[in-house]
Order: sequence, then C-alpha cells, then structure tokens
Amino acid sequence: MAVAARVAGVLLTAFFFGLTFEGIGRKVTARIQKRYGPPWYQNFIDVLKTLTKHGWTHGWIFDFGVVMALGGVIATLTFVPLGNFVAFPGLDNFFVIVYLFTVGALGMAMGMVGTGNPWASIGVARALTLMLGYEVPYLIVITSLLYNFKTSNISTIVEIQSVNGWNIFRFPIGALVAFICLQGMLGKEPFEAPIAPAEIASGPMVELSAKYMGLLMLMNTFMEFVEISIFVDLFLGGGNYFEFLLKYLTVWIFAIMISAVLPRFRIEQAVYFYWTVPLLLAFIQVFLVVAGM
Amino acid sequence: MGEVKLFFGPNHPGMHGNFSVHMYVEGDIVVKARPMPGFLHRGFEKLMERRLWYQNVALIPRICVPEPDINEACYAMAIEKIARVEVPERAQWIRMIVLELARIANHLWSFGGIGGPTGMYTSMYWAVADRDRVLDIFEELSGARIYHMYIVPGGVRKDLPPKLEDKIYHLLDYLEAKIPEYETFILKNRILHTRLKGIAKIDTETCLKIGVTGIGLRATGVPYDIRKVDPYLFYDKVEFEVPTATEGDAYARISLKPKEIIQSIRIIRQCLEKMPSGPVNVKIGEGSGLRIRVPRGMAYVHVESTRGEYGYLVVSDGGEKPYRVAVRGASYPQGLYGVEHLLPGTRIDDVPIWLDSMGVCAPEIDR
Repeated sequence: MAVAARVAGVLLTAFFFGLTFEGIGRKVTARIQKRYGPPWYQNFIDVLKTLTKHGWTHGWIFDFGVVMALGGVIATLTFVPLGNFVAFPGLDNFFVIVYLFTVGALGMAMGMVGTGNPWASIGVARALTLMLGYEVPYLIVITSLLYNFKTSNISTIVEIQSVNGWNIFRFPIGALVAFICLQGMLGKEPFEAPIAPAEIASGPMVELSAKYMGLLMLMNTFMEFVEISIFVDLFLGGGNYFEFLLKYLTVWIFAIMISAVLPRFRIEQAVYFYWTVPLLLAFIQVFLVVAGM
Repeated sequence: MGEVKLFFGPNHPGMHGNFSVHMYVEGDIVVKARPMPGFLHRGFEKLMERRLWYQNVALIPRICVPEPDINEACYAMAIEKIARVEVPERAQWIRMIVLELARIANHLWSFGGIGGPTGMYTSMYWAVADRDRVLDIFEELSGARIYHMYIVPGGVRKDLPPKLEDKIYHLLDYLEAKIPEYETFILKNRILHTRLKGIAKIDTETCLKIGVTGIGLRATGVPYDIRKVDPYLFYDKVEFEVPTATEGDAYARISLKPKEIIQSIRIIRQCLEKMPSGPVNVKIGEGSGLRIRVPRGMAYVHVESTRGEYGYLVVSDGGEKPYRVAVRGASYPQGLYGVEHLLPGTRIDDVPIWLDSMGVCAPEIDR
C-alpha cells in the first residue's frame, strides 16, 4: 500500500472512529448521569456545523496557533501505529511522536494566549503545569519499557507483545501509572483543572467560536486518538486493525466512566498527586525492570 | 506577576444567575473582589406597588427562582397579619407541606449542584433528576413546576388533589432511601474533601456581623432556624431537629443539606398525619373577587428558606395595592458583604465553591 494511502487511512480512522467513540462516550456519560444523551453521531454534527460558521479571529497569532495546533497533531498522528497498521513503517518511534506532539501543544498554547483573554491564559498555564505533573511519571515508565525492550520503535514493542503477552500483565504497575497519566493527558476528571468551566470559564476554549472551535474540536479528537493509541500499543498489545479499535474503545470508555464519577483536583493538588503516588509507582516499575523481575 | 482583573460573571459558567464579581487576582489568589449586582434589576418591590394585592402573587415567585414558595408564604402571611385574618387550619398544614417540599427541591439542587464547581457533574444530574420528582408533585398540586402561585393571601388556591397524599408519601420513602446514596457518593469522596474542607470558611462572629443566617450560620455551630426561634404556621406543633456543624467551611455547609432534607421529610410526614379536613382559604379584606382592599397597617413576616432568613415587610395604606413591600433576600449578606470581605485571600478555584455553598441567589439581591 502506498504511503499516501496509509496516511489517509490513519487520518480517516482517527476522524471517523475518534468522533464516533467520543459520541459513544457522551452516551455512556449521559447514562451514568441518568440522561438520555445525544446520538452517537452528535460530534460529527458539531464539527461540521462549527466549521461552516463564520467566527471571530483574534489576530494572526491566534489564527496561526490554531492551524499549528491542528497541523502538529495531524503530523503526530501519521506516525502512530494503529496496532499493526503503520503509515510510516520503521519511523513510528516513540521519541519522534513525543517531539511532534509538542508542536501541537505549543500551537494551542500560543493561539489561546493570543486571544488576550486572561481566562484562556490561566487555562493554558494550568495545562502546562499539569503536563509537568503527568509527564514525569509517564516518561519514567515508558523509558523503563524502552530500556527493557531495547527499542523505541512502537511497532517492535507491539510485535514483541504478540509473542510474549501484553505489557499490562508483564508491567502492571507501569500500566497503572500510564493510565493515570493518560487520564491527565485527556483532561478528564480528576485532572480537568485546565478546562474547569465553573472556575475559569473553560480556560483555553473561552474565546473560540465557529470554525476555530471546529478545528480545535478536531485537534482534541486527534490528540485523544494519539494518546490512547500509544497506551493501547504499548500496554495492550496493539493487535490487528479491528482488535486495536476494540481495545481503544475499551480504554476510552473506562476513562470516561472514571471521569464521570470523580470531582476535579485543584491544579496544585493534581501535580502533587502525580509527583507522589504515580511517581513512586513509576520508580518501583523502573526498579523491577532494572532488576529483571 | 501583576494584578489582573477578571470578570466572574454575568457570562461565566460558575456564576449563579445574572450577577458578577469583579476579581483582582495576583497569580491564583484573589486580592480584591467587588460584587456587581444590577443585571437582573426588574424592580420587583416597585412593581408590587403598581399591582393589585392578588396580582402580585404571580410576580413574587420570580424573586427566588430555585425556591419560589417562600415568597408566596411571606407575602400571604404578611397580608393576613395586617388584615388580622385567621387562615383555616388545613391551609396552614398544606402550606407547611409545600414549603418543606420546596426546601427539599432546593436542597437537592444545591447539594448535587456542588458537582458544578468541583467537576463532579454526575451528582448534579442525579440531584436534578430527583428534584424533578418533587416538581411532579408541585405540577399535580398547582399546575406549575417552578412558579406555583399556590399559596395566596387567605390560605391556598385549592385543596390537595385526590391521591396526592399517597404520592407524597411515596416520594418521601424514595428520597429517604436515596439520601444515604448521595451521602456516600458526594460526602465520602476523598477528592471532594480536599476541595471543600477548610475552603470558603466563615466564623460565627462574621456571620452575625454581616447578617448571614441559615446553613451558613448553622455550619458555624449556631442552631438558628426561624422555624424554631420564631415558629410560624404550625412549626411549633411538629418535631424536628436543627442540624449544625462547627467547621464553618464549604464541606460543613454541604454536609448539612442532606441532614436538613431528612428533617423536612420528617416534618412533611407529621403534617400529612395531623392535617384535618376542612376549608383551605378564607376571604381577605374588603372588596370583591381579586380586587380586594387590605386595611391600613404594616407587618414583617420572615420564614426559614434554604439559604437563611427570608422576610417581607409589607405596608398597606388601606388601598387596592400595597403601599410598600420590602424583601429581605436570604443571600443578600453573603452575596454582597461576603463576596467583598471574604473572597480576598481565596483562590480562583474556590470562588464558585463560595457562591454555591453559600447559596448566592442574584434575584434576591436585585429585588
């Protein structure tokens, strides 16, 4: 299959299944909350509707930031293996993904701060602070995995799991830490402080309207797709295309269900939490890997 | 980092109604807070002077959207006091049932509603769903879910519909079984403890100084409840307790709400048992139909709302319309003085918790 077709396949998968799973997640949350909830295709309607509206710009930094955010995440997405379906075989390296992922995050931060709204700045500051919180234990755990398998290529780790079994069973502590960090990456409760509608009026999103909102909704969907996909690849064995999607949906629904029944930490509580319990567990994981246990 | 001005409302998801707090923050800390009422000023008090005594029954519930019945009760009781009218016994018991049902509905809303400022949205939806069960009773009783216009000068608009008593009993049984679930889900959540304990604290002295009553005062250990200290209707004929706490923080205030719901259930059960049959309203003043004249006089009547003492001062010059009506909104002290004096020093994260746990209701301030 040509590279262009594989890239298109990854992006279309992220677009269609990302939005569909978000819709299913909204339905699950609604049922937990004793609501009927929107239809599963509601997110498609939301994105298409917002993209067709005329919105307010806040200057070229804002415009550039939004495009950079979406572009950065799309670029990242193309390197993420969907189980054994890889757009760029051999280049799906964890460090490449982490490097590219920063472009999207910085684009969003730049664009939102460019709005000049202090609530957006507070939200971005919170998001970056939270990132500081979860990235330390997350990277320690992932580094221990890479050290264990002596590779940073995600496809190789997926292949090894097809023989040796899923890493979630081999490295349960690391999987737990990665999942807790994933909850923070997704911005779900109890790590919802960067959005916190009742506190900071939805933070980064406060000035978004129409197509800008639509573009960042897509960016958010793709971002979630990257984050969950890496977890599925590294800990749940990836699998073929359909197995991968099933595992993805399971992780997503699990995250949604936890999010639905927990309140949010304050930002400094979240960072304190990440730097105590998950960090300690991450060090235990490192010890076990180094000790060969 | 320098001082930044933030607008907390009127267009802010954490704000209750059309109200605003202009906050000056340094980092995450509020250094100065200025309450900005006036967005909802429809001039309720002045409007009342231009309407007939009975016409005002349709206007006054709007002063407090989440708990409108207290307005009806205060207004009606003040007029009855001026006109020296004895309301039929059955009507008084029915009024108590209505007031306590309204109390349960609002407590459910605000108890579950703590999920809004803390991000636990499920509790909010659960509570709203259960509040709807109370509104179903109101709909059957009065034809309306929110603004009931049921308590009128001279009694209540009409008697209880057939079989409504059974439905109320059924509702009480349901809620009684449900409250422990809420307590487990909300009050035992350890993350919520970190968000609410020691937050938005107020002491007894400050409460008394600025005029905070209700749960705000009771959470500091003072068992002040108008239903006990100055009983109205037949509150002196029913048994109930006044739950208190000592911490004075947001958690103490929120944890009192389910306890108060249990007491309200207890009161309603006694009302249903003790309520005799008979008429439910009596004619007020002179005149015919809805065009009555209330004798010259003045009366102040206060009731216990979910947020504290709620009062009406009504003055009549003997005409067909009130000469003056003044409303004491229960959340006026915490909404204005509390915001101005107690928010500085707190974090941005805790501002909606203050507004929610103290039950700040904008229309009461803008009345």
